[in-house]
Amino acid sequence: MSTVSTAETRHGLGTRLAALARIVELGQGRIDPALITEAAQLLLRAGDRLKLSPDHTVVALAGGTGSGKSSLFNSISGLELSPIGVRRPTTARTHACVWGLEGAGPLLDWLQIQWRHRFARASALDKGESQLHGLILLDLPDHDSIRALTDPEANRLIQVADLVVWVLDPQKYADASVHRRYVTDLAGHDAVTVFVLNQSDRLSHEEQAECVADLEDLLKREGVTDPQVVATSALTGKGIDGLKAVLAESVSTRRAAYQRLEADLDRLMARLAKNVPDLLHVDPTVDGARKAGLTDALCDAVGVSALGEAMENVYGVRSVDWVGWPYARWAAKFRRDPLSSLKLGAVKDDIRSLVGSAVSAQPAEVDNAVQALADGLTAGMPEVWQNGVRQAARGRSAQLPKALSDELSEVAPPLDRVPGWWWLLKIWQYVLVALFVVGLAWIGSILAYGVFKVGKPPLNVLGDLGALPWVGLMLVSVLGLGILSAVASRNFVILGASNERDRLERDMRRRVTTVAQETVIQPVERELQRYNDYFAAITEAKR
Amino acid sequence: MKSAAKNTPDPEAVEQSGETVEPVIEGQPERPGEQTITFRSIRDEDPGGPEPDEGPDDEGPDAGGPGLAESGAVEFGAVQSDAGGASGDERDGGADSAGSAGSPDAPEASSPDAPEASSPDAPEASSPDAPEASSPDGPEASFLDGPDASGETSGGTDPPGEPADEEVSEPSGEPDGDGSPEGTSSPNGGPVREMPLPEPVSAALTAALAQLRVAVKGLHFGLDVPGSDEARKTQNAVLAQIDDYVIPRVHMSTAPALIVVAGSTGAGKSTLVNTLAAQNVTKTGVRRPTTGTPVLACHPDDYEWFAKGDLLGGLTRVDKLSEDTGPDSVVLVPTPRLPQGVALLDTPDIDSVVEEHQDIAHRMLDAADLWVFVTTAARYADAPSWGLLRRAKERGARLVIVLSRVPMKSRDVIVKHFGRMLDEYGLADVERFVINETAVREGRLADEEVTDLRLWMAELSVDDEARAEAVQATLNGVFDSFRTRLPALARHLETQVALRADLRSDVDSAYMAALAEIDEATRNGSLLRGEVLARWQDFAGSGDLMRTLQLRRGGKAQHKGPERLRALKSALRTGLESVITSAAQRAAEEVVVRWRQRAGAGDRLAATPGLGRPSDEVVRRTARTITAWQDHVTELIRTEGVTKRSVARLVSFDVESLSLIFTVGLLGYGTTDVSVGAGNSALPQRLLRGLLGAESLRSISAKARSDLRARIGLLFDEETLRYVDELDSAGIPDEAAATRLYQATYNLEVAR
Repeated sequence: MSTVSTAETRHGLGTRLAALARIVELGQGRIDPALITEAAQLLLRAGDRLKLSPDHTVVALAGGTGSGKSSLFNSISGLELSPIGVRRPTTARTHACVWGLEGAGPLLDWLQIQWRHRFARASALDKGESQLHGLILLDLPDHDSIRALTDPEANRLIQVADLVVWVLDPQKYADASVHRRYVTDLAGHDAVTVFVLNQSDRLSHEEQAECVADLEDLLKREGVTDPQVVATSALTGKGIDGLKAVLAESVSTRRAAYQRLEADLDRLMARLAKNVPDLLHVDPTVDGARKAGLTDALCDAVGVSALGEAMENVYGVRSVDWVGWPYARWAAKFRRDPLSSLKLGAVKDDIRSLVGSAVSAQPAEVDNAVQALADGLTAGMPEVWQNGVRQAARGRSAQLPKALSDELSEVAPPLDRVPGWWWLLKIWQYVLVALFVVGLAWIGSILAYGVFKVGKPPLNVLGDLGALPWVGLMLVSVLGLGILSAVASRNFVILGASNERDRLERDMRRRVTTVAQETVIQPVERELQRYNDYFAAITEAKR
Repeated sequence: MKSAAKNTPDPEAVEQSGETVEPVIEGQPERPGEQTITFRSIRDEDPGGPEPDEGPDDEGPDAGGPGLAESGAVEFGAVQSDAGGASGDERDGGADSAGSAGSPDAPEASSPDAPEASSPDAPEASSPDAPEASSPDGPEASFLDGPDASGETSGGTDPPGEPADEEVSEPSGEPDGDGSPEGTSSPNGGPVREMPLPEPVSAALTAALAQLRVAVKGLHFGLDVPGSDEARKTQNAVLAQIDDYVIPRVHMSTAPALIVVAGSTGAGKSTLVNTLAAQNVTKTGVRRPTTGTPVLACHPDDYEWFAKGDLLGGLTRVDKLSEDTGPDSVVLVPTPRLPQGVALLDTPDIDSVVEEHQDIAHRMLDAADLWVFVTTAARYADAPSWGLLRRAKERGARLVIVLSRVPMKSRDVIVKHFGRMLDEYGLADVERFVINETAVREGRLADEEVTDLRLWMAELSVDDEARAEAVQATLNGVFDSFRTRLPALARHLETQVALRADLRSDVDSAYMAALAEIDEATRNGSLLRGEVLARWQDFAGSGDLMRTLQLRRGGKAQHKGPERLRALKSALRTGLESVITSAAQRAAEEVVVRWRQRAGAGDRLAATPGLGRPSDEVVRRTARTITAWQDHVTELIRTEGVTKRSVARLVSFDVESLSLIFTVGLLGYGTTDVSVGAGNSALPQRLLRGLLGAESLRSISAKARSDLRARIGLLFDEETLRYVDELDSAGIPDEAAATRLYQATYNLEVAR
């Protein structure tokens, strides 16, 4: 990390923060809201901190009550700025000391340090202090006393300082209040965390060595890979120079702010990326097979093929009334009707009018079809994202049956439609019937005039016996023609109906596909895209 | 102790003793740096009470005051016997002998004591005025109180003193005194000091405790609701406390008192114990946390009692700390420098990174008769420390506060500040000791730093009554704490029961809603859409419907389109199936959503994979269900659809087709907006009514519908079972357990 220049760090951090912003946007409703909030806060803080003076490094002296934060603060600053005392807890407000004042004002405002607790050391006046130029040293209140239970001040500043110096003492260095609440939590912040074992004057040389070793062990166990531990004594001034050197190094490189934000980002990302699935990228488009599958299922829900079949059958049956041989029809009328014998004649009319009803889709089947699509697409995705895709697919599925019904009713032919040629054929059949009647009359007249000599026929042909076979032949042909044309037109009807059915099914299928594309596929694809974007952002921000 | 003093019906004795003590204090200006002087400023507010302690306190470290301790003991004996006189009349018979045994003993025990004790002490003492200070005081105190005590005991009763024990224990006072409290060996052991409670009370109490123990043990917190972790912890703590402390204590109320030294890490608990024991019984060091295993230091005579006794019965006794010492053990160290009858228990810290230390420390505190809370000048404002103080306050435990590592130069400020904090916290009347910051040598403080504490312990040691009273106070505090802790447990159990019921009802209501949805769908005709409708139209429009009904005369059943019939039938089946699976899917999702809204357990349970969707078999089962139902309908039509005779003469009909027409009618054909069309509203119904008769149709409809409902209900029951299994696997809280606990708590209150 130390080989990376500040500019690179800044650039890398910027990219990662941008990715984090995308995560916040895309993860809405998909990840723990607390994490989203935290990420948004980090973004805000990073934005603020990066805007404010990059030449200053905010160093916070944090620790338990009585560990000697204020003494250390005074030792480093060389002034008696922060009151020290024996009563616990001593410091209630944060004190700040600035080396190099220009540009620090907004930063101090942002840190919410009160005016009367701000002190400045102009480095020009302090010989030998120039290496600390740019340091803002904060003396925090403690975080572990009974007062701190109600005061979030220390906690707030520990979270925003660029570099945190933990002031520990031989008595308190293993307190759970430091380790559990902060150290474990901030593991990974090695670069921006320094541990100070203050009050080392209370220990003998060997004891101090043992203590430091023990503390380092403890920190390593908690995930601080390379703990910087400095033993100091604010009382005797031992080790203060060492601590100053550590601070000076951090201040001079001007990178603590970035490193702090990076470490925060790393920590947040570790939590965000905790449940990252193996499947980071899904196909953002729904493939053809699945689309076809959905269309098939939706067609089934509408009953497209059944509709076609029904249409074909109904046409076939109904065409008989129009293009059928009239004689057969008449003959059928004389057959006894079971329904009318049951005085249920009206039912028959019902059946006739039944065929006029509209197309509709079955909601439950539509639901299942959409569900199946979503399930097929989301295999391997985390459950919350699966639900997201399902919700997206279903989002408009409530309207889907109606949309399908509306759309398809337009194409579906009314089953009681009567094509024009049916009329022609009907007329033709009746013409044939009329011809048959005329023929019969002719034969009658020939018989009357020619055979029984009833009188003089008005026309010769009406009494010409020689015409009789021809007329008979004509009658037979008229009947035959009737049968033939009935059979032929029925074939035409069936052919037509089958063509019509094909056309209808094609048409309906096409429209179903369109509707499905709009109401199901597109939202689902948007959601899949979101999934991809989100995990791309996670990968980028994690780095 | 203080309360004992307050109970004194004869305040003059106390006041007198106080007055006699007072001048002695003033008469010791040669030790201005002595902590006791500062200490007085804290304790000045204490009315009346402290004097008995003050006396020994002020005696200075060196005097150690065997005589004083004795005087305190006698004094308290008197007080106790007074207080007991009211309650313990039933012991009259025994008391007589006790009185007769006690009255000559008491003066004997005290008067020779003081001179004897002070003289061997003198060489040890660093300041020469010690004998002077103690000898006038000691005899005075004892002479004042001694006759008093004996008079009262002989005149009245001495209930706590068992006659049998008295004879042994009173002589024990002599060697005790002779050997001095800090002292050398004394022949008699601790167990002889036992003073069991009166039998009937004890029996009832024992029974109540046993019942309580069973009730607490019987609690089972399976579901993770907020607070269930604490509840489990409390349960374990209460159980441990009953076993480790309450039961042994109830049986032997004046057995050696256990003083538990607790506090923050680095506060110097071990150092303090070592110093008091005058021996390195426990490890000290700069490493934090230092002590991991509790160490019990006691007088060799009490050793047997602690080694064998039931107190802390759940812990393994070990002699020495070794690598493989388990977490549930206690190191037992006999040390002759500790007075008899009090044992010191060094505990792990309450606030270091090693969390198990806190649990051990709290368990030790739960078994303590007296709490010695150690904090330091740097730590006294720490939140965990005040957490411990709050706990002590809640439990009503007898508490002593030691402020250690106080730098000489800021001593006044710190002591005053801490004192004020304590006063504000309502701990004004707690005894406080201050130890200066000095160099620690070989894990011990300079002996003079702890003189007050040593005196205080010595007093406890010698004075059975005072000890018993202190022990009883803590025991009462524990019993009082049961009054709130146990009902809290029961309430938590009830919360769990309620939560379980809620979770269960979530499942039920989700599936009930699904069932209602299906009911609606199968009634309002929404099922008759899409394919079903098309097939029906096909079936009816193509004339098959008409052909179903054959004139009987027509004879031959010419079925032109069985495939249409089949298509309609399968379309109906598919329609029904999809309605059911869709409803099942939604119900499953609904359950998960509802569970997620429940805090804790629900959320965790809902995360169980597979619960968010219907089970894998649901499709197969649904298919089976619907097929079976269709068969059932056909069967119904066949058997129950007794055709009207007038119809039967004319028409025969195909049962299969008729059952389909019936199904279509049943599913609400004509009631929906889809198939609107004048007059066709209820075609199947009318047809069927014509054929079967209205009555018969109605009955078949009702049967078929209820059968469908029953079958779907069965199907959903199997689905529901998955959730119930999941719930059950988390543990079934037993509602009766809460009731039992309430009952047991009540019984305990009655038995006390």
